[in-house]
Amino acid sequence: MTRLALVALTLPFLAFLLLALVPPLRRRGRAAGLVSIAAVGGALAAALALWRVPVGAPAVGVWEWIPADAGPLVTVGLYVDPISQAMLVLVTLVALLVQVYSLAYLDEERAPALGRYYAYQSLFAFSMLGLVLAPNFVQLFVFWELVGLCSYLLIGFWYDRPAAARAAVKAFWTTRLGDVGLIIGIVLLWRATGTFDFATLFELAGGGRLPAGLALTMFLIYLGAAGKSAQFPLHVWLPDAMEGPTPVSALIHAATMVTAGVFLVTRAFQLFAAAPAVLALIAWVGAFTALLAATMACVENDIKRVLAYSTVSQLGYMMAAAGAGAPDAGFLHLLTHGVFKALLFLAAGAVVHAVGTNDIRQMGRLFRALPQTGIVFLVGTLALAGVWPLSGFFSKEAVLAGVWAAHLRVPFLMLALTAFLTAVYMFRVVLVAFFGRVEAGGHPHDAPPPMAVPLWVLAVLTLAIGARLALRGGETAHPPGWLTSLSVGLAAAGILLALLMYQVRVVSPAAVSRALAPLDFAARRRYGIDALYGALYRGLLLGFSWLIGWIDRYLVDGVLNVLSALTLRAGDRLRRIQSGQAQDYVYGVAFGLLALLIVSRLWR
Amino acid sequence: MTLETGAFWGLAAVLLASSLAVVLTRNLFHSVLYLAVAIVATGGVFLLLDAAFLFGVQLLLYAGGVVTIVVFAIMLTERLVGEGIGQTSRYLINGAVVSVAVFVGVLLFVGQAPLPAARRPLGADVTRALGELLLTRYVLAFELLAVLLVTALLGALYLARTDE
Amino acid sequence: MTLQAYVILSAAVFAIGLLGVLTRRNAIGILLGIELMLNAVNINFVAFARFNGDPAGMVFALFTIAITVAEVAVGLAIVIVIFRIRRTIDADRLDLLKG
Repeated sequence: MTRLALVALTLPFLAFLLLALVPPLRRRGRAAGLVSIAAVGGALAAALALWRVPVGAPAVGVWEWIPADAGPLVTVGLYVDPISQAMLVLVTLVALLVQVYSLAYLDEERAPALGRYYAYQSLFAFSMLGLVLAPNFVQLFVFWELVGLCSYLLIGFWYDRPAAARAAVKAFWTTRLGDVGLIIGIVLLWRATGTFDFATLFELAGGGRLPAGLALTMFLIYLGAAGKSAQFPLHVWLPDAMEGPTPVSALIHAATMVTAGVFLVTRAFQLFAAAPAVLALIAWVGAFTALLAATMACVENDIKRVLAYSTVSQLGYMMAAAGAGAPDAGFLHLLTHGVFKALLFLAAGAVVHAVGTNDIRQMGRLFRALPQTGIVFLVGTLALAGVWPLSGFFSKEAVLAGVWAAHLRVPFLMLALTAFLTAVYMFRVVLVAFFGRVEAGGHPHDAPPPMAVPLWVLAVLTLAIGARLALRGGETAHPPGWLTSLSVGLAAAGILLALLMYQVRVVSPAAVSRALAPLDFAARRRYGIDALYGALYRGLLLGFSWLIGWIDRYLVDGVLNVLSALTLRAGDRLRRIQSGQAQDYVYGVAFGLLALLIVSRLWR
Repeated sequence: MTLETGAFWGLAAVLLASSLAVVLTRNLFHSVLYLAVAIVATGGVFLLLDAAFLFGVQLLLYAGGVVTIVVFAIMLTERLVGEGIGQTSRYLINGAVVSVAVFVGVLLFVGQAPLPAARRPLGADVTRALGELLLTRYVLAFELLAVLLVTALLGALYLARTDE
Repeated sequence: MTLQAYVILSAAVFAIGLLGVLTRRNAIGILLGIELMLNAVNINFVAFARFNGDPAGMVFALFTIAITVAEVAVGLAIVIVIFRIRRTIDADRLDLLKG
């Protein structure tokens, strides 16, 4: 069983090595893409085969990495349990579809750049799989950083665009901020328990033998997760990450990178459970992030940014569920969201590809021009809005149920409001872009097959997962009866409001923004968080450089100047001893003789 | 007061006086003459110390050789300059202080040094003993000295040669 | 007379010679001072040789005298050369070594 996992893990890595070490292949572009696709396709097959194997206890295959006297300090290996099985499938599936899609999407890219792109993609898939399969915190951290690196590379894929380069750096730094917490947390955890291994840690947690006072440790680990999963206040990088190619956004938002944080919390939930305060914090921050991002999504005009904010918002959902003690619900939402968010992004990419702009105000009546894209986008939107019987409905309901069951009233209200807002802003996009009255310029047409097929696959999967969940019924949670009506009601109300505002135009959007002027003002400026960070960053950096400059100029240089002046002056003084007159040197001889005489008297 | 004591004090007085004159006289030529006196007085001290041969050497080499050379040099330079060479001193006080300090230092050193009190017997013929030593124990140094003298002679000639 | 007397006499001559070396402005005067100092040394050699009953010290005095002669010859030659080049033998002006 671990062998299958190993196959899934190594195939993308082999593809990466091949592309990285064989430049002729990489420079071929499409050929490189096919290699990468074949590898990830194989990985998907292995993941599916592995998925069919029922797992009782987690299967662990371990090799020694850092030996130590009392058993190996760190191991590398594979940890296969239902969570990693599902993640494997999700990651390889989305990666495969994204890579296929990219073939057409990046058609105009130069061949070497395309080869580079696929090398990154393979490495990204490998990193994420390694992260998912990690049996201990050290391996997890290594792959965690690899994921960060890959997202940096891919977001900055068009590195000659300043905005893309900035966004890549921003993503890297922001997540790194959380990662500092993560690595400190990991080391603290090791100090407290003496092990990195999940299996051992879970055993301890299961037996209630975890040492007390883990709150700080778990909080630090959560910081890492918050950075990767774009939780407030570390969410700022995700919308900017839209500067990368759209398939990359799909990959980052659906299957890799941002899911890593949620995955970490899910994976280590038993450890988090030992620190209830941290769990509550996770829930509150998650719910707050969800609401905050939803409001920002409502005022955003860039189609990809709307989706980015919706991702932040949905990640808030997942985190809130985990914080409320329902990690299964959060994880379910992670899976369903992964599928339909990939669908939405790829569809948005098709739209952008066809229209040539990101701004929904310049789109309209696209449904006629792009019927296929329109349909799949609508499917994704309905799923995201939480309409029965699509997949998003069930996972969202599970999350809400979990939060309600944890008696977190305020977060529950925030999440419910978010559900409403989600429906509003998603339908705003759909109505404006696909049914709006503005005529889009040019002659947009539906995407070519390499792009269309992944869209349809994802759309069908969204429906299928929904259907399967509907048939199985509330297996993961037992929501109170009113919750289903509430969910559906919220989604319906949101859709209705969007229709009234943007289609029937009974309610003027301008009037709404006037009515909510302060909120509107703040949301349009991203609540000033980005500006605040920018100012802080600049202020700190400038202040620090000023301080260093001052120290250098006055302290360091001062010391050196004084030293050099002293040396010069001393040299000048000493120089005068060398009068050049032999007789003065004879004085020296005489003094030397005197000194000898005196010394000979003193030391007898 | 034995003959030796009297002679010592007399010679010492002459030696010190002429030495001071060498150092302090304004006329360089007079300086050289005083040096001759001092050298002869030193030779007398050698006589007191039973070194008659050394007295002879001192007279011949120093008084006869060195002083003559110096006189020649003075005359030569004076001829070149075309005027009498004055002889002045610089920082006389400083020099005196340092010299006195060195003298006092040596005195203090000598004061506590264990010196033999009386003369030890010195063989019958000192000159003969010297000759034997020079040609036996110190024959190498003796020969090297000859080389040195030749070298110095050639060197002096080379340095003092006139450009053609 | 005791050995001390001779040694003290020698030291006095030595100090006077040093005074000459230190204070004379004329290069030849400096050479004369050196002669005095060497004489003082010779007195020491001979005195110690006599009081120890070992004529070896006198041999050294002989050597010193010979070397002195060589030194005077070379020294005077140098003085003459300097004079030719610099037109002076005033030691105050001979300061090429000045740092």
